This record gives sequence, structure tokens and C-alpha cells, in this order.
Amino acid sequence: MLHLQSSNLLIQKTFTEALEANKSGEPLTFDRIISDFDYTNFHVSNDPENKTQLFLSVRTKAWNSILNCDSNGSQGVLSYLAAKYTKLAGITVAGGSESGFDYTLAIDLNQLTGETIVQLSLLKTNIMSYPFYLAFQEFATLSTQNPTTTTVTVGRFNEETGNVSSIDVSSTLYTIQYRDNENMFIKPSNDRITVIFETFFQDETDKVFGKVFLQEFVDARKRNRDIQSAPQVIFSTEPPLELQNHLPKNNEVNDEASKRFITFVLFPRHFANDELQFKTVSQLTLFRNYFHYHIKCSKAYMHSRMRYRVDTFVKVLNRAKIDEDDEENGNTETKRTITGRKMVY
Amino acid sequence: MSQSLRPYLTAVRYSLEAALTLTNFSSQEVERHNRPEIEVPNTSAELLLQPMHIARSETEQVLIEPSVNSVRISLMVKQADEIEQILVHKFTIFLEQRAEAFHILRRVPIKGYSISFLITNKHTESMKTGKLVDFIIEFMEEVDKEISEMKLFLNARARFVANEYLGEFVY
Repeated sequence: MLHLQSSNLLIQKTFTEALEANKSGEPLTFDRIISDFDYTNFHVSNDPENKTQLFLSVRTKAWNSILNCDSNGSQGVLSYLAAKYTKLAGITVAGGSESGFDYTLAIDLNQLTGETIVQLSLLKTNIMSYPFYLAFQEFATLSTQNPTTTTVTVGRFNEETGNVSSIDVSSTLYTIQYRDNENMFIKPSNDRITVIFETFFQDETDKVFGKVFLQEFVDARKRNRDIQSAPQVIFSTEPPLELQNHLPKNNEVNDEASKRFITFVLFPRHFANDELQFKTVSQLTLFRNYFHYHIKCSKAYMHSRMRYRVDTFVKVLNRAKIDEDDEENGNTETKRTITGRKMVY
Repeated sequence: MSQSLRPYLTAVRYSLEAALTLTNFSSQEVERHNRPEIEVPNTSAELLLQPMHIARSETEQVLIEPSVNSVRISLMVKQADEIEQILVHKFTIFLEQRAEAFHILRRVPIKGYSISFLITNKHTESMKTGKLVDFIIEFMEEVDKEISEMKLFLNARARFVANEYLGEFVY
């Protein structure tokens, strides 16, 4: 499993199960908690009176920061999600969100289709994509407003000019706080969108492994001609210039030292149409998970490798042991009892 | 095997062979005790022999400390950079946690070294001395090889993973 899926397999399975059971005339009773990356939880439950009516609630760490992304308050993201989901067969937005959860969808099993189930399993990605959607929109207006300031040569990111032009053009910065200490920043500008991940490593080993992995992300594009059109990746331990006006200054020094910043520079070709936008967003929202997942995988591999190596070392050492049988063969005088036991003096 | 590694290993082999002449020796200080003299604070200088220090480079050294009934061998494994440091640390910890299986492995390396072995007269009585030396030599060869292989693997994986991730953005 090289890539992580942006859809949640358990949600898909649960709803497929529910759908089948409903078709056979015996709707199941559900009360399931499903977890996803980054402290996201889903809850699938029945309407107490009507078993064909299901609720899918979600709670995610990023929710509050996503609500704050929109200057119009919380209505933006709600209507964005409503627009995405109500056009699908069988889904309505529940009147209020279930207590303890951020957002609830009501699903009518009688109208549910396979395509709808796929969309339901993408709920987390869709929520996370809202700030990206805002950024894409802002990019569209900025690029028409101010086409003359595109002095930056495409492909080579010049931080100085990049910063100046983006301050001139826009001061918007969308922040998604998707984990306790880690944020994602999206900054639209007139010729590109910059996505910055802030990450930190708790473990010393992770820090070193992470450094190797991040360096490869930076170099991969330079090395491999086939992926020249991928977004440029920049890695730094200092906050990039885009963030310096936005980050709180009072962060602990200790905390700051282990922070890493990974910048993805998206050019218009990465979000030219809806399909590309979706692909880009679902890739980017999984970046941290993908990256940490592979660090853990390499650690697991190293572990199994060391286990194997220890076995071979033990084998070599056991060769040194003096075999008791050998000694016996040399010394045929060993006395045995009538039952074959060895005589010990 | 590189040119400079062979003489290094040969030197270690001969020194070990010379050092591994152990006899049973009861403690002179505590009655009915029989302890590895190299490991205990010792007032009798005649029990400790001259330690041997063999160095290939600043980062690759062996210290052999013989005594009348035990030999302590400490290895310093090459650590060229941060990654190798982590890998060596992980690997030696992993081995030390399994010290029982190794009989002669010391649970804690002596200060400044990556890993230590302690061979007592009990070990030389129950194992062939020549094979013990073979084990130490093979260990030294394999550890270096293992560490560099793990490092290569890590880099290769990182490269592959990064390529695959960014490849998803190519339309």
C-alpha cells in the first residue's frame, strides 16, 4: 500500500452493508464510531424511529479553523458542503449537527446509490477542501485583477519577489489547524497558490528520518524529469516569508527548534479544472499522513531487519559452543545405565 | 573488503587470540566469590593485564582489556553522520536488549564505545576460543555492512516515496 486513500474505507463498507441489508428488507441498527487521520471521528447511527434513515456525523480538529477561514462566518463552509452533498441522491443536511460532532448528514437508505457512498466516504477531504476552494476562487480574481505583477519566472520560486508581490496583492492566509501543534497554511497569490505545512517531530529518530525524506521531496523534482510539472517543494526550518507576519511570536523556543516547514508551490496547471482541483487537494491534505506513514514503515522494516540480523549473529555464536555429542563420540567410555541414562559422577 | 579493513581485522584477531588465555580465578578479596576481575574495582594490579587499543580511524576503534579471568572487548562502530548515529544506536540497543541470547554481550557499553563484550573463563570453557574470535571479527564486519545497507535503504525508500507522491501531481 504505497498511497493512502483519501476516501474512508470503513464508511464505504458500513454504508454498503446498510444498503444491502435494507434491500433485503431487514435494515440494520447502527451505532458505529469510525476514526480517520488527524483526530477525525465519524459516527454512523440510525434514526430511532425509522431504521432506513441514517446519520453520518463528523468531528474533526480542523473544523473550527475552517469555519474561521471565511470572512462571512460559518455559513460559507456549511453552504459549500450542502452544495456538494444535497445534489446527491438520498442525502440531506441534518437540521443541526449531532451533539459532540461538527457536522451531520442525513442519509435515506431507500435512495442511496454507490456513487453517493463514495462521496460520503470523502467527507473529511471535502471539509478540508473548503479553504482550498476559497484560495482557488481568490486566485481567480487576483489573476485577472493584477496580471502585470507576474514578474516571477515560472518554475523558479524567488522568495523575495514572491513575497513582495503577494503582500501587494493579497494578505489572506488560510490556516487549517488540523492537529494540536501542526498547521497548514494556504496563501493565494496572483500567479500561484502556496501551501505550507508546519510539522514537528516528537522523536529524535523521526526527526532524522524525516529530514532524509523531506530532502528527497525537495530533490525529487530536480532529479526526475518525468515529474517536472509537479509542484515545487521547499523545505526550511525557519518559517517562510509568507508566514512571518502571521505566526505568533511568543512560541516557545524549544518548540520552535524542532518545527519544520514544507512549502508546496501550486501553479495554475495544478488546479485548472474541478477534477484537478480535487486531486490536488486530496493529495495535499494527506501529505502529512503519507509522509509520517512512510517514516513509520521504514522504522518497522529496520526493526524486522535487525531481528533477522540478530538471529544470524546468534547462529554464528552458537557455532562456538562445544557440542556435548561431539565429546561423547570421542569418549566411548561413557557409562550408561541399563535404561540408557548417562552416568554422572 | 577494503584494503585497510583487512589489516585492522587481522590485528584485532591476533590481539584477541593473545588475550583469550583465561583461567579460573577466585576472588582474592571476597571469600567464595568468583567474579570477572576486569569488571570489579581492583586493588591488586597483578590481575589486570595491559589493555590493547587498536584504531583504524577516529571513529573505528577496538579496546581489548584483558585480565586474569576475563576479557572486555569494546567496539566503536563507524558513524559518519546523523543517520548512521541513529542507526548504530538503534542497532546496538536492539542487540543489548537480547543480551541473554548472546552470552558474551555486555548490556551496557563502556563509555565512549558503541558496544561491549565480556568474555569470562566460563565462556572459554564452554565455547571454542577460535570460534569466539571468529564471531567477534564477523560481528565487526557485519555491523558496518548492515548499517550502510540500512542507510542506503532509507535513502532509496525516501526517494521512491517522494517520487511517487509528486508523480500524482503530474497530469
